Amino acid sequence: MNSIVVPVIGALVYIIGLRFYAFWVDRKVIGADGKRATPARMFADGVDFMPTSRNILFGYQFKSIAGAAPVLGPIIAIKWGWLPVFLWILLGTLFIGWVQDYTSAMVSVRNDGKTFGGISFTLISPRARTILLIFIYLYLLLIAAAFANTVATALAHAPRIPLAIVMLAVAGVVVGFLIYHGRVHLALVTVIGLILFYVALVINGHFSIVFGTPGTNRLVWLLFSLVFAFFGSILPIWIFVQPINYLSFYIILIGMIGAVLGIVIGRPVMQQPAFTSFTVGSLPLWPMLFVTVACGAISGWHGIVSSTGTSRQLENELDARPVAAGAMFLEMMLALIALVIVGVTTPGAQASWDQLFGSGLGNLFHFIGMPARWGEIYGPVMIVVLAITILHLVVRFMRIATNELLGKALPIVRLPVVGTTVAVFLAFVLAWTGTFNYIWVLFGSANQLMASLALLIGSVWLVSENKKAGFAIVPMIFMYLTTMAALVLTSKQLLYQAVSRTDLLGKPLTSAKIAGNWISGIIGLVLFGAAVVLAYDGVKALIGHARQSHGLEKG
Amino acid sequence: MNLREILAANPKMKYIMFGGKGGLGKTTFSAAAGYYLAKQGHRVLVFSVDPQASLSDIFQRDIFGKGAVEVMENLWAQEIDADKRIHEFQDEVRRRILERYGLERVPEEIESYISAAASEPAMEESAIFDAVVDIVFQGNYDYYVYDLVPLGHALYYLSMSSIYDQWINKVTELRAEMQRYTRVIQRMRSREESEEDEILGELQEIRQRINLASSIFTDREKTGFFFVMTPEEMTILDTLKAQELFTKFGVPVGGFVVNRVIPDSLLAESVPDYLKNRIRSQKEPLAKIEELFGKRIVARVQEFERDITGLEMIARVSEQLFQGG
Amino acid sequence: MDKEKEQKKKRGGIFGGFREFIYGMAAHDTARFALKTRGSMEHLFILVTMGDMLGIPILPPYYSLRLLPYVVPQIATWKRRMLREKDFTDTLA
Repeated sequence: MNSIVVPVIGALVYIIGLRFYAFWVDRKVIGADGKRATPARMFADGVDFMPTSRNILFGYQFKSIAGAAPVLGPIIAIKWGWLPVFLWILLGTLFIGWVQDYTSAMVSVRNDGKTFGGISFTLISPRARTILLIFIYLYLLLIAAAFANTVATALAHAPRIPLAIVMLAVAGVVVGFLIYHGRVHLALVTVIGLILFYVALVINGHFSIVFGTPGTNRLVWLLFSLVFAFFGSILPIWIFVQPINYLSFYIILIGMIGAVLGIVIGRPVMQQPAFTSFTVGSLPLWPMLFVTVACGAISGWHGIVSSTGTSRQLENELDARPVAAGAMFLEMMLALIALVIVGVTTPGAQASWDQLFGSGLGNLFHFIGMPARWGEIYGPVMIVVLAITILHLVVRFMRIATNELLGKALPIVRLPVVGTTVAVFLAFVLAWTGTFNYIWVLFGSANQLMASLALLIGSVWLVSENKKAGFAIVPMIFMYLTTMAALVLTSKQLLYQAVSRTDLLGKPLTSAKIAGNWISGIIGLVLFGAAVVLAYDGVKALIGHARQSHGLEKG
Repeated sequence: MNLREILAANPKMKYIMFGGKGGLGKTTFSAAAGYYLAKQGHRVLVFSVDPQASLSDIFQRDIFGKGAVEVMENLWAQEIDADKRIHEFQDEVRRRILERYGLERVPEEIESYISAAASEPAMEESAIFDAVVDIVFQGNYDYYVYDLVPLGHALYYLSMSSIYDQWINKVTELRAEMQRYTRVIQRMRSREESEEDEILGELQEIRQRINLASSIFTDREKTGFFFVMTPEEMTILDTLKAQELFTKFGVPVGGFVVNRVIPDSLLAESVPDYLKNRIRSQKEPLAKIEELFGKRIVARVQEFERDITGLEMIARVSEQLFQGG
Repeated sequence: MDKEKEQKKKRGGIFGGFREFIYGMAAHDTARFALKTRGSMEHLFILVTMGDMLGIPILPPYYSLRLLPYVVPQIATWKRRMLREKDFTDTLA
């Protein structure tokens, strides 16, 4: 099949979903009201609440939700064939993804801009907040481990990009300094930063930077990525995290424009098989594909963004749909482009997913008259940049969460260095001892489970408001069952291997891997347990609210 | 050195203050010093913030709250009415709020804050402090003679001025930092317009005033600070203590004035016994004063036969104040 | 003010909307952080100057009153923010 079909169908789903389904939910079910004052307007305090225009927010929401996962997910999931991935991205976004993003925003908007912690405290149960916090901490830990691993794997395979990544940090500091202390126009600052980065990339493109044996020196790059994240967490946000993420936006944008032009001009044929098998390795398509694709179809991260950053900036209730739902549909397009990039590669090549992405991007770059080699280098650059920009943010969040969880009992973790060290250390242990595929699946599960918990919060709110809740409850149940199944399956395999001290093929495991299996398996079970409690409290609250509104109707 | 020599040797000394416990004659000396300097042809302002307002008594004119009143050629006297000042100030704040936001009336919450602020004890102190700064800041006179309220208050002013100064520094830093963020916001939005921070301007003005005030208090060249005491055990002890405190706050003490000294010569004349007893009982304290302060005594002023009121009496005191020592 | 904004939007049209979208992706986060930081400094400033409104006297009232006219609009939001319950999830995103 011609690859152009993928984005074209995607665009159709985008339009239909946003124009009709989302519109119907927004106006008929939720009853968004343009005249109703949003929290951003009501509480405008110039700190947490600030009304922001719809277009700006659309960009903000999209940038915040579009990290590495929507790109990586489809690439990793291609092993089941591109068709199931394609279908899941489309259907997941259409029936679940945007529902979660949008509902999360509206729940918060209609609850005075409260975030999930506060909402679950009042709507579900007091302990829900604490359990949610533990859940989110482990979720963040899995993101950190997964993305640190991503960075390490990609850098270990691509000796022609590390200099550019180091230079990205340097350029970030320069840009941050110029923005805060310089008197230079932003456009010029941006150009300076990008020139630094691309010059380093070109220089590095001519010689390899290799530590130890190429391909197996993951440890070096794992430590590198975590040191990077460490600085991101302890340095003031404006000198490191923000300018780096600012520059990264352009770096990714340039790659994406190249890819899109390549697809449109070259219209290559999908080379990868449409479908391989229901079970790949030890991983069955259901539930594993659904958690592997991650953010391209649905992601809990989005609900968090919607209910914190975005809900407090919406200046009009009617903006929630184009902003929150719109950004999700755009993210679907991003995932589809990633799917095409990897779909046009030659099957059967013994390459890891990062290399697949590079060669796919090379194919597309070729169509717009650029050497394929550039794409092969630029692909991993994009993956590393996407992953690292999320990684240092997540470690920052973990630091804050550590403070929240342990700050009272153990005041020393309040020191940024200590909180960050804890976060980085845990991420390192998990990333180094764990197996990437399992960690990715656990991350995906936690991520989608977070989404289904967001949908649960949304459903409880809908019911308590006496609104139709089916459009949220059905996807919530589906996601809940899928992710819980994925967690059980993964943890079972992990713990089985840990106990038997052999992998699935019966080969003995190193003691590090055994430890990693124990840790990952237990994390999976804890997530499972937390989700059980949250669901129990949630359903109880749901029934309670349903009875109440039912009684009110009768009475 | 006596007071006249000190003033001659320090041409920059524009601020003269008399301090000490209440009722020792500070106001009298302020008036006398003002009189002396005015007679020398300088423009002089004598001012007091003491709510007991004794400048009015001395000059035999009601000057309380009336601004600077010329009491003789080159000599102005002023008594600050703190209450009135606070009320005027409150009205000014209300007016500025109404003007600034085009309001009909001040929002309730803000109004209650404005009225509550006036009843705080610190309000009076700080209003007076500001009034003093105001007077000094305008710089209309060659000499300022400041009749300090009793010692505790004087120290309060002094400590306040250094605390204010530090406080304003911190807040100014905060505002400056905020301005940096404003520029970042503008830069990110590609809008480079410079927007004055009015608060920063206001703070800088406040700071300037406070710095001036505290520099005056602590500048040995500009300020002559003189303790007034009487030959009594208690006042000597108090003065010692006060001197220690002033040194701690970095206020240089210019010297000491001994007041109410009854001349020895009276012993030979036919005066009532109680007076003779008082003369005798002054002997010991006087000796102690000489021993403790010796050369730092700038003037010894005798007890007069009647209250010091009216320019004539002031002239007599000023003679002793500037010739003795 | 709103009308002005509306007009501006219309003038910008699709191009203006696209510019805003790009700004939203690239720069809004940084600008918002700066806004947030400045806003919380503003609140800190009000706390230090008008603290006795919440029962925390810090600055001599004379100077508080002098600065009061400049911060009248921020006082209500400041009070609300100071008294609002904060949650861990507030700090994410």
